[in-house]
Amino acid sequence: MPGAEPCFHCGAPIPPGQLVTENGSGTTLSFCCRGCHGAYLLISGAGLAEFYRRRDWQDTGVAAEDFQSNLSAAYLARFVRPEADGATVDIIIEGIRCASCVWLNEKILAGLEGVQEARVNYATGRARVRFAPQRIDAGTIFSRIAQLGYRPRPYTASAAQQAAQHEQRDLLFRFGTAFFLTMQLMAYAFGLYAGYFQGIGAGMKNLLQLFSLAVTTPVIFYCGWPFLAGAWRALKNRAANMEVLIALGALASYGYSVYASFTGGEVYFETAAMIVTLILAGRLLENAAKRRASGSIELLLGLSAGEARRLKGDTLETVEAAALEVGDRIVVGAGERFPTDGEVISGSSEVDQSPATGESLPVAKGPGDPVIAGSSNLTGTLTVRCGKVAAESFIARVARLVEEAQSRRAPIQGLADRVSALFVPLVLAAALGTLFWQTSHGSSGEAALLNALAVLLIACPCALGLATPTAILAGTGAAAAAGVLFRGGDILERLSRVDQVAFDKTGTLTLGDPELVALQPEPGYAADRILALAAALEHGSRHPVGRVICAEAVHRGVAVPQARELVTVAGGGVTGYLDDEFLAVGSARFLLECTLSDPPRPRDYPSGTLVVHLAAAGRLVGTLLFRDRLRPDAAEVVRYFTSQNITGWLLSGDRREAAQQVAQTLGLTRALGELTPAQKAQSLEELRRQGAVVLMVGDGINDAPALGTADVGCAVAGGTDIAIETSDLVLVKPELSRLILAHRLARRTMRIVRQNLAWAFLYNLVGVPLAMAGRLTPIYAAAAMALSSLCVVGNSLRLLRRTDG
Amino acid sequence: MDSSLVALIVLSLCLGCGCWLVFLWAVKKGEFEDIERPKHRMLDDEDKP
Repeated sequence: MPGAEPCFHCGAPIPPGQLVTENGSGTTLSFCCRGCHGAYLLISGAGLAEFYRRRDWQDTGVAAEDFQSNLSAAYLARFVRPEADGATVDIIIEGIRCASCVWLNEKILAGLEGVQEARVNYATGRARVRFAPQRIDAGTIFSRIAQLGYRPRPYTASAAQQAAQHEQRDLLFRFGTAFFLTMQLMAYAFGLYAGYFQGIGAGMKNLLQLFSLAVTTPVIFYCGWPFLAGAWRALKNRAANMEVLIALGALASYGYSVYASFTGGEVYFETAAMIVTLILAGRLLENAAKRRASGSIELLLGLSAGEARRLKGDTLETVEAAALEVGDRIVVGAGERFPTDGEVISGSSEVDQSPATGESLPVAKGPGDPVIAGSSNLTGTLTVRCGKVAAESFIARVARLVEEAQSRRAPIQGLADRVSALFVPLVLAAALGTLFWQTSHGSSGEAALLNALAVLLIACPCALGLATPTAILAGTGAAAAAGVLFRGGDILERLSRVDQVAFDKTGTLTLGDPELVALQPEPGYAADRILALAAALEHGSRHPVGRVICAEAVHRGVAVPQARELVTVAGGGVTGYLDDEFLAVGSARFLLECTLSDPPRPRDYPSGTLVVHLAAAGRLVGTLLFRDRLRPDAAEVVRYFTSQNITGWLLSGDRREAAQQVAQTLGLTRALGELTPAQKAQSLEELRRQGAVVLMVGDGINDAPALGTADVGCAVAGGTDIAIETSDLVLVKPELSRLILAHRLARRTMRIVRQNLAWAFLYNLVGVPLAMAGRLTPIYAAAAMALSSLCVVGNSLRLLRRTDG
Repeated sequence: MDSSLVALIVLSLCLGCGCWLVFLWAVKKGEFEDIERPKHRMLDDEDKP
């Protein structure tokens, strides 16, 4: 019996039906899978079959792939991270489909003895559970989740991707099958309707009904299984959500039709099948959007430099950033990113900290200055002593903040779910009322039951199921055409309810790059000459101001001479020679140190400007003024939100005065400066605790936690990848004015959803009384269903029309 | 007439089943795994198989 012996390669018992055999050297070898078989072929092919006789394995089996059934505590213990006051374990919960699933898991897990906190991230389907290891072990937590009907797995990166892929594939199977069967069903339904009007033989009618029954059954019980299971879970929970309504409608029309097809009545199979198919299509699109969002954390961690050059004695060695230890000395060249937080030991350079702090201009760094992971070194080479290991660096801390913010975000119960919670009890009451009233008034039990079923059938129409998905689909489609990407349907709903908006400063309201605002030559010098000399010195500079000078020279068509012996002094400026004339460009202090005898006349420069002087042969020849420029459409956006009674905030990591000045110029109500990424997120959290619905607009790494905390996070194109990946809504072009469009569209979409729901109710108002009286006829049902669905779809399609409103 | 109709219905069901099987095969093969990449592939310079 071949299944009895263990796998020749890995030693694990072979699961029935997975046997792979190989005839080698006269005996038959058995393997548990193709992988083991391949490994065996590789090993024996290399002449190393001796390995199998020599090895002495204690553990049998490869990595447990099939842990659904046997989640041993010892295996799970490997995924548990001990902490100061307890332990934490990350779990992927397969089968999370909606906000209610998140809620259910959190509640059940938090109710377990010994569990301190349980949070489930809706977007990634990941749970983080903190528990006291003395009172409960991980195995109990896992089996509890399994008891709920979900499949828990300990989290590793690849396991997360596999689970997501598995779910997407599963959904695709169900949808494809439902679509195919519904198409067949439509053909039979067409025949039946034609027969109803023109007459049809009883035998033929019955035949078509039986065919309909045959194709509808798998649609309901295989394709619709996720809804049935979800509805059952919700009912056990004593909650009524959209799934309950779908299941109720589908099962009622199916049950009614099954009975009718054996007793010679009219059938409504297509109603049941259509509901399931259309809702599956909506799920499929929603899932694809969700999957994109789950990559954000990995991306964030990928940003911290992968490798670092470490000084070992006097020699440099390249090591992985993760291997760096506190106290290691590393060398960071110009243009590289700092792999971890630390302190400069030697060298001087300018560092672009804007992704981390929001400061728009580079900061000079010398011995003793701290540097932040993720910021980039611009001009000189620095030797840095590591102050933290990479896993605790700024970037890693931000990554954790983002993840926490995302999992803390309470799912807002959607409009459709709220309506269902009210609607389901009403419909059930109407159905039960029909049953009792009719039996007490002399109807037979059978007729009363049929009429009660008809009430359920007519009360849960396609129109209700279609109301939200079609509007959301059309809304997101129209938004995408206008250059705004929504990461899922619920974002539209949340955006429409926003009453506070917070902006980041650098890179969001401003362009993030300095702009030359004034060129002031000393008497006797031409402006172009000043620009040419400055550009000659800044040629090849990495400093943003230097780049702007060179770009401006090119833009104005100024010929740039070739300067010699360029020397860059970090935090000061650049010196060089042109035709034996000593030139220097930089701050007043720097020029005073290297060439000028008298300081430049102090003038009243507007605040927030960066002043750069140019000296030639020991004399001041010109002054250039730079400032971070506001986006041209920033004022318009702020005005729009003010006109909509939405309070505007400015949250900046930059200096307080800089933040206040921008806020004043734009007319923003409140401005907060010098905020760390965590503080940004905290201030939003506080707003939300007061009941506000907050939109956050940002672009930097330092905005990522705030983007994750806000009800809606919006990233502007051109921002850092992390900001884009953590936000719910992305402006595809760096134009803030698209935000206005997005907001208007969100409000319009929700208006359409409400209209759709109202229409579906109107239909109920007529249909339910008819059904209660037992007067539901196929003509009415068909006409009303087609009409209401058409109205809802047509109404939703209005969103695609290009309008300026 | 009835029997010919039944035959036609069964025939259409069989044809549909064929398409359905092709779909299942495509999903299994991973055809729908990445629907973003293929449209960019033609813009790549090197011609990978």
